[in-house]
Amino acid sequence: MADTKEQNAIDECSEGDLTRREMIKLGAIAVAMTGLDRNKLLEAIQNKTPLFFTSDEFAVVDELTEMIIPTDDHSPGAREAQVAAYIDFKLLDSFDEEPRALWRNGLKLIEQLSQEMHGRLFLACTPEQRIALLTRISQNESAPGKPEEVFFKELKSRTARAYYTSKIGIHNEMEYKGNVSLKEFVGYDAT
Amino acid sequence: MNLIRLTNQKTAEVDLKKTYDAIVVGSGAAGGMAAHVLTSHGMKVLLLEAGKKLDIDKELKSTEWPYQHKRRGEMPSDSHPLSLNEYNIRQPPYAADSKFKHVYSYVQGWGGSDYSKNIVVDEKDHPYTGTNYAWVRARLLGGKTNIWGRLALRLSDLDFKAKSHDGYGEDWPISYKDIAPYYDKVDLYLGISGVKENVAHLPDSIFQRPIKLTFSELKLRQQLKKMNRLLTPYRAGVTTDGLKHNKYRSRCFGRGACNRRAGGCDIHAAFDSPTGLILPAMDTGNLTLRTNAIANAITVDNKTGKANGVAFVDAETGNSYQAKAKVVVVAASTLESARLLLISKSNAHPNGIGNSSNHVGHNFCEHIMGPHITGLVKDLVGKPHTLDDGKPGSFYLARFRNLNERHPDFIRGYGFEGDSGTSMYPGNAGSTPGFGAAYKKTVREYSGAFISMGAFGEVLARYENYVDIDPSVKDKWGIPVLRFNYKFGDNEKKMAADMAETAQEMFNEAGFEVVDLSRRILTEGWSIHELGTARMGNDPKTSVLNQFQQSHDVKNLFVVDGSSHVSASCQNPTWTIMSLAWRSCDYLADQFKKGNL
Repeated sequence: MADTKEQNAIDECSEGDLTRREMIKLGAIAVAMTGLDRNKLLEAIQNKTPLFFTSDEFAVVDELTEMIIPTDDHSPGAREAQVAAYIDFKLLDSFDEEPRALWRNGLKLIEQLSQEMHGRLFLACTPEQRIALLTRISQNESAPGKPEEVFFKELKSRTARAYYTSKIGIHNEMEYKGNVSLKEFVGYDAT
Repeated sequence: MNLIRLTNQKTAEVDLKKTYDAIVVGSGAAGGMAAHVLTSHGMKVLLLEAGKKLDIDKELKSTEWPYQHKRRGEMPSDSHPLSLNEYNIRQPPYAADSKFKHVYSYVQGWGGSDYSKNIVVDEKDHPYTGTNYAWVRARLLGGKTNIWGRLALRLSDLDFKAKSHDGYGEDWPISYKDIAPYYDKVDLYLGISGVKENVAHLPDSIFQRPIKLTFSELKLRQQLKKMNRLLTPYRAGVTTDGLKHNKYRSRCFGRGACNRRAGGCDIHAAFDSPTGLILPAMDTGNLTLRTNAIANAITVDNKTGKANGVAFVDAETGNSYQAKAKVVVVAASTLESARLLLISKSNAHPNGIGNSSNHVGHNFCEHIMGPHITGLVKDLVGKPHTLDDGKPGSFYLARFRNLNERHPDFIRGYGFEGDSGTSMYPGNAGSTPGFGAAYKKTVREYSGAFISMGAFGEVLARYENYVDIDPSVKDKWGIPVLRFNYKFGDNEKKMAADMAETAQEMFNEAGFEVVDLSRRILTEGWSIHELGTARMGNDPKTSVLNQFQQSHDVKNLFVVDGSSHVSASCQNPTWTIMSLAWRSCDYLADQFKKGNL
């Protein structure tokens, strides 16, 4: 499952004018920035693994985004919309080091909290335990103070941005009707 | 649609040996109009544009979906849009020492900024100094008309004769009846959408098919009628029925892309200067266009003191040139025009050309922005989503202060621009708390149920608000830059406080639950409506131009953009800029034929 996602992430990123060669160039930048081994990264792109996240991190991010915007009876959620892959690309792409550090540390905090609350890795928790964790870090959303609360805000903001700009978000979830040519304007006359 | 695309446009070499009848500096709303009117009178015109000629349709990609773009419409990550905090905390030049490769004004922080990154200027190449100011500039053929907000309003005698009304400032040297025929000409030549309302202080245009209102907007309109206030469908400078005389522009098809990013319309239903004015002018055979031509001096005949041409630098090569003309028409935008006049120093004009009054750069005014409101329309929660953004704008709420009564705290007035209903991106996704199925459902069910509006208020023209030339800082091409000495005053601050109060009052009356009310004033410049740095007037001691935008000092020099405005009004200026330019250029052509210039 993870494999198709990452392939799609690369395909989706390439839908614009970013060629595969540019992607590899970006990979090279990431090597310089994160200290990863270049060959390992090129191999990673070829093996369709994440660009910035480790495979373990990616799986956690994928789960977190799906918890924020889950599949329901109305439409698929963040997982199917490949939200984690877009966040992964945007972090690799970032000119600033800061967001990358925020995410790397944030994911560490998730695991620390998971150990502290439930005595196991986040992905090994039951769904109820994961919700308990996310509930705890989402308490002060409007004015986050603790580092894990700041991370929640960042996580949710990027998840929403990626989801509601995706094909699934726009068409399935929001059922957006615009961006089409109309014969007549829609709405009410100014009476 | 069989539009003639911009890529097909003809180009001609500038003949530097020739003396043109007129040189027009700047190709935006004002310069485009000057080129159109003068060439239609048979004059041979050279149009100088400082920026490049872009294949604009390829830039705008108006109907591209976010997921078709690798960064969902955002600029490359090495490019940075200035934020409100940066504008306020730091001092210009804002891009100095930035680690980013490119720095742009705040408009590039909006979604879809990748589509306008080649349209707005890179702040690194275009510094300015002085007081805080968010100066948004577009350097390319057509200038800011490529991305303008399209709200096309007329001014009335409440504006032109504002001093007679409340005693402050100066009256304009024209009345509504002088400009009305030219507003009509602009309406018919370029196309405008709206509804006739018969309101004296917001005169009607000759409208094409109006856009429609949403449920909440109609509700607010009907409620406001009881308060004797007017909400009317957006008066958009957009051709909704098409223009038989223009083969470069399509009618509007309500695709809604204009709401998604920093404007721009790749079928040119929204007015832009290149397709609306410049290409048709080139078809007359009387117009020569030179892009990448940064004017750095209006040259002068030392014997007569008259203008005899324009010196310019090629933006790409840095080479200097000089073009000759019998008349010079400056239309570089309010602030760039002031800059060009001030740096055009000669023995005959030691303070800068046309500046014997020392008023060039002064009486600088604009619109103050900031206070805005968002309301929840409970009737719409959970209703199926409708198509609410397939139109070039939503609504305008006309000025209601200081019409007949006198407000105790401030003079002049303000209007609101607003919109409501569904859009491609649910604006409530960020403000809805929580996570999970309940969060997702709440975003979906509430996303179409909000209505918002923000105010634009008149900033008083004051002599002490001015720009001048920085003594040391220069731009990428070695041209001295502007220094701002400009601050909102007491009248503006009191007016802004009232904006928030009345917004709340009107939403309460309409039964909308106020979910957000901001009283914060945005940085000077935010409205992108800068005006008044070379004002018209009858007295050469206190004004720069006469009623035909002709320099009091130099009779063959005209300044036909927003710099000529005597006061800012609270109505958006583009339609007035073009109507005035048309009137002045009719006069110019007549005087030219009579040999009076």
